[in-house]
Amino acid sequence: MSLLDILLVIIRVLFAAFVPLCFIAVCVWMERRGAGFFQDRAGPNRANIFGFRAAGLVQNLADGAKLFFKEDVISDHIEHKFYFVLAPLIIFFTAIVSFAVVPFADTLVLNGKSYIMQGIPLDLGILWFFALAGFSVYGIILAGWSSTNKYGVLGSLRSTAQVISYEIPMGLAVVSLLVVYGTINLNEMAQFQGQLLFGFIPMWGIVLQPIGFVIFLIAAFAETNRTPFDLAEGESEIVAGFHVEYSAMKFAIFFMGEYVALFVSSAIIITLYFGGYQIPFLATDTLISYAKPVAFLLMVALPVIMYFFAGWIRKNNVSHYPRKNDPRVYEANIYIKCFWGLVIVLEIILFAILLFKSGGAAAHIFVVLLQVCTFLLKVTMMIFVYIWVRWTLPRFRYDQLQKLGWQVLLPLALLNIFITSAFVVALS
Amino acid sequence: MFAEWLFAAFSILAVLGGIGLVTFRHPMNSAMSLVVTMISLAGLYALLSAKLIFAIQLIVYAGAIMSLIIFIIMFLNVRTEDLPEEKGRFLYLFGGVVVLAPVFFFLKKIIQSIPATKATILGDGFGGIKEVGLVLFKDWLLPFEIVSILLLVALVGAVVLAGKRRMSK
Repeated sequence: MSLLDILLVIIRVLFAAFVPLCFIAVCVWMERRGAGFFQDRAGPNRANIFGFRAAGLVQNLADGAKLFFKEDVISDHIEHKFYFVLAPLIIFFTAIVSFAVVPFADTLVLNGKSYIMQGIPLDLGILWFFALAGFSVYGIILAGWSSTNKYGVLGSLRSTAQVISYEIPMGLAVVSLLVVYGTINLNEMAQFQGQLLFGFIPMWGIVLQPIGFVIFLIAAFAETNRTPFDLAEGESEIVAGFHVEYSAMKFAIFFMGEYVALFVSSAIIITLYFGGYQIPFLATDTLISYAKPVAFLLMVALPVIMYFFAGWIRKNNVSHYPRKNDPRVYEANIYIKCFWGLVIVLEIILFAILLFKSGGAAAHIFVVLLQVCTFLLKVTMMIFVYIWVRWTLPRFRYDQLQKLGWQVLLPLALLNIFITSAFVVALS
Repeated sequence: MFAEWLFAAFSILAVLGGIGLVTFRHPMNSAMSLVVTMISLAGLYALLSAKLIFAIQLIVYAGAIMSLIIFIIMFLNVRTEDLPEEKGRFLYLFGGVVVLAPVFFFLKKIIQSIPATKATILGDGFGGIKEVGLVLFKDWLLPFEIVSILLLVALVGAVVLAGKRRMSK
């Protein structure tokens, strides 16, 4: 193994491990700002460091500090302390490891060698995701059971039954997708989606499998235990469900695991149905050969976007009542300067790419960076959809939930498999 | 070398899980030991480059079946004081070991009689999902379909039984 090989292995493993962790902060922040937006209120806007609030991101730090320094209580009535401690770890660990097979960029080719861009070089793809989704059930069961608490057991009963029954429509929706793509490898699926349908529509999963997408999306909402399927928490009925007995960092690990699961299921939805890392109309090969024009366009577009973004910050980051020497205006100016600095750094990088010869290693790396950005942007948008649904729809009743899963989604998914297979056989 | 260490680790874990399954008193502990065994077996399959079996072992056995068993144990809510007193369980254990000892020596003899050849990984994507699928649907289509019908019968039976009870209410 050369030094480059080792470096790329380290980069891809670090990316797969730390990006989900960083997205916890982004998800929590988006959740709160989103809740504020949908309920027509401000959201977190008080916690600050020297007057800098970073649009509410500092609130996360405050929460983290609070949870970290809180007393970690394990009540005396808990008999099986080992399982009690193990449960949050299982949930957190399975959530992070299931991201390891999601490709965040197309295979990077350097000096004739190809480097795969996913956490672990396993071509089991979607099967790995299903295996680990099955394991996360253990965390829920053990948490509820070892809490020795009626609310805990009720919450984990609901949650387990829900996750197990929604795995079936989810799996069947994926079966029809496999018929279309002809592979279980997520990277090959993303490459397939780089093609064009009739020459002008991106061949994304959502175009080829609209019914499958709806089924998968609903099942994914149920798998992540989010509204409208968050009966496991059901604050008004069973307090907080399976994590009612947990405090301090053990609760925080549940909380973080939930948001990592949200990130991973968004990433899976993106990879299966929205072209993964692919930029629409620009497949990897096209992008490599047109690296210079794309870099030039970005060089022009970035300052323009930044100009409007700066205007938006200046308009929104002000006090809502007259104040002398408004500190928020001062804050906004600092933010705008920071962002302009970032834009200048990006411009220098793009200019460097213009200097290198086209089709070389620089172009390949540039394409990978672009695809990583596209992937993260798409995932952020999908997370927004999750938050949008959470703050818009009310919770289902439990029998409605099971009825939806078994009587609507399951037959629909089976029908979808038959229709898809008929189409694939007719067209091939 | 690394693979051999992994093999040793997975085998020891699998055996320890099996011992735990038999010796623990609380059913939840036993079930969790069985989960450890299932996962170690998946690791052993992966070392044999049987990728599909590895995935199926994780999804079906370690994931679905074991989580249902643990779900039932949770549902029954067995407490430590509810468990029956098992007098002389170590006596039974000892008796079992004595009965099984000849089988153990027999197995040991078989293993020693295996000629020492170097194992190599079969090429051409052996054990991958595509290859297994091709073999299954080309050479073994009829047995595969018969097994499917067997499973379908079991499924229909389960639905009929569940439906009957609802009607009698």
